[in-house]
Amino acid sequence: MKNINLKSILIAAFVLIASTNSYSQISKAEIIATGLTCSMCSNAINKQLKSMAEVESVSTDLNTNTFTVTLKDNNAVTPNILKESVEKTGFFIGSMVLTMDLGNVQVAENQKVERPSGTYIFVNNSTKTGPIKVQVLNDGFVTKKEFKKSAKLQAKFAQATANENTYLIKSI
Amino acid sequence: MFKSHNFIHALCLLSVFSTAFGQLKIGDKLPGIQLQNNEDVAIDLQSYQGKVILVDFWASWCAPCRVANKKMAPFYKQYKSEQFEVVGISVDTDKQKWNNAITKDKLEYGQLIDPNGFDAKSAVLFGVEQLPSSYLFDTTGTLVSINPTEEEIIQLIKKIK
Repeated sequence: MKNINLKSILIAAFVLIASTNSYSQISKAEIIATGLTCSMCSNAINKQLKSMAEVESVSTDLNTNTFTVTLKDNNAVTPNILKESVEKTGFFIGSMVLTMDLGNVQVAENQKVERPSGTYIFVNNSTKTGPIKVQVLNDGFVTKKEFKKSAKLQAKFAQATANENTYLIKSI
Repeated sequence: MFKSHNFIHALCLLSVFSTAFGQLKIGDKLPGIQLQNNEDVAIDLQSYQGKVILVDFWASWCAPCRVANKKMAPFYKQYKSEQFEVVGISVDTDKQKWNNAITKDKLEYGQLIDPNGFDAKSAVLFGVEQLPSSYLFDTTGTLVSINPTEEEIIQLIKKIK
């Protein structure tokens, strides 16, 4: 009996450590949607995001036209999954800012960080560690206009971003 | 025992879902909802019954709604003497912005507020999925059209005579 108790405590402790250590997932995503019609005037995006099993809550900021998606702990959401979810409603991503804890990573330009949610390549240096906010710069994650504007940057990292689930990110 | 429990749970869930996703259909009656107007008076939607009623869901931050408002203001003026009533229901969460919009758009018809965005009870009850959304009721309080054109409204007004 004692043994079983000890075992379960050990397992629980292990699970706890494992879960708190998994600072790899995206905890929050701030999304601006664009389209032919007013994105905030439709309940579709809100509903679609809320219907995702990994989503804890969705709130909207009407001043910045931003949907803030809070994700559950230990989720396996990738930026692509979020993008596809929004696109299902007939809108596009105008901007996606992720909050994620990369742990003790010192952010530097050209640095590649591999995480279960994707491979991230930084385009800038930053002194921040722990939970950081990053904007995804890939095609389809910014407006067409902004994407064109960043042609030079995109060309520089083209080889890397051609890989699946690989994201060019800017620490902000 | 377990089975009957499960059954009851399923029923409860079903009723929750059917009310949550319930939305007004053509032929349904004008619901009785009480909301505050822009003079802080509680108004029952059914108190308008007897006239042709257009229930118009909007918000101050919704650009297409504001465009529609500017069209509706003179339209209402033209037909208000002919048993026609417009009731605006705003889902604004900021009352100041709501009031400013009413003034700016020169809206003279009834203005109610349900300050909870798409989660507003009235919006859920009507099944509002986008803004603006409007619902046309005839003099018996029966829903005859969703997002009617001006022509449809005029036709219904002319029918009374």
